[in-house]
Amino acid sequence: MKTAQVIYENGDHRWLAIVRDPDRPGYLIDTNEYLVSIGDEAILLDPGGSEIFPSVFSALCAEYDPRRISKIFASHQDPDIISSLSMWMEFNPDIKCYISWLWTGFVPHFGGTDETFIPIPDPGMDIPVGRERLRAVPAHYLHSSGNLNLYDPKARILFSGDIGAALLPPGESGLFVENFDRHIAHAEAFHRRWMGSERAKRDWCARVADMDVDMLCPQHGAIYRGDDVRRFIDWFAQLDVGAVKS
Amino acid sequence: MSQAAVTGGELRRIVRINEEIKSVVATAFKINLMAMNAIFLAKRAGQAALGFSVLSNELRRFATDLQQQMEVLRQMTHGSVASVTALVKTERLNRLVERMRSEVSGQARAIIDRYLRNRQTTSFVLHEEAIATQNRRLGQTIADTAQLVELGSVLARSAKIEAAYGGSFSAALMQVSSDFERTIAEIHRSLEQLSRHQD
Repeated sequence: MKTAQVIYENGDHRWLAIVRDPDRPGYLIDTNEYLVSIGDEAILLDPGGSEIFPSVFSALCAEYDPRRISKIFASHQDPDIISSLSMWMEFNPDIKCYISWLWTGFVPHFGGTDETFIPIPDPGMDIPVGRERLRAVPAHYLHSSGNLNLYDPKARILFSGDIGAALLPPGESGLFVENFDRHIAHAEAFHRRWMGSERAKRDWCARVADMDVDMLCPQHGAIYRGDDVRRFIDWFAQLDVGAVKS
Repeated sequence: MSQAAVTGGELRRIVRINEEIKSVVATAFKINLMAMNAIFLAKRAGQAALGFSVLSNELRRFATDLQQQMEVLRQMTHGSVASVTALVKTERLNRLVERMRSEVSGQARAIIDRYLRNRQTTSFVLHEEAIATQNRRLGQTIADTAQLVELGSVLARSAKIEAAYGGSFSAALMQVSSDFERTIAEIHRSLEQLSRHQD
């Protein structure tokens, strides 16, 4: 079973990271899910694939009452991001799913109806959670053609989806990046292959460099914090992407 | 009631059980701290509070056992979520096959009928049985926990009796043992809720 760990807490404003399932079958990619709760409301970020729903749901129950989750944010359309939607709909048929407008006709193949989805336009939008507003930030083509990050300006946390992801080898299961140089070696091949556009990458780096970000939370691997956030942006800016290694 | 409503209801029931588990874990943590303070108090009271000290130690052990019991329950609810998930997937697949069946005839329909018969007598029933078995185990574990909590109540009552022999510390020890009694009563209430969610 996964565990839910608090990565930010300020009064009733919390971020939980749902991570590291020791029982996960090796053929499934490891994923991180996040929950942002503010007051009595919460939004679940990239709830994961249907195969890991039991693990995510159980870990979440140990730390938070999932009946208060009224919104889901999906960074893009991949099965490891959102194929558990049908299970969340079973649990709460009124739940709303925020996703790029590009995917609102595709993701219902996993679950949901036309009332479930709130399309996010290309420039992004604000998403109200409790008394705060989180910001869906464009990250198109990184890697999906309709791709968004989610920024919490109060907590100064950016949920970056696949950007910053690393495929960690067994034994390296820390929640946070502790040694950037060692860690980034596990992220390089992933970014070269999955990030499809040099121009989109440059735009994203410029956009995020202008934001106050204390923590950058990817959907796979470890969380970057403090100076490592800037290190990651600089590293990504100079990385040659969108090329198959020959 | 539709299958979706049933499975959704099952998930919400699991959440309610988990909320009570969290409440019991928090109370057990409180008892552990209270028992530690009670041990220090009994030490200060000296010879007159030897019995009270032994009982406080037992109450600490009770709190630890209770936390472990809650972890067992939590693991069980995880198993229940996995079974409900499997049931939903099976049900979804069956629904799709049923739709496919309504759109074909002849040999194709016969093949689908055979497939459906196999599925319904295997996976679907198995998942439902798994959920029923897990619920029975959950009920048994809650009953076992109720016995453990009864022991906690007895310990708290005995501590109250021992407090009467605490000499000049008697009033302070009495206060502590009353706090134990009240806190354990909270666990009783949580367990009643757990049993209700189990029905």
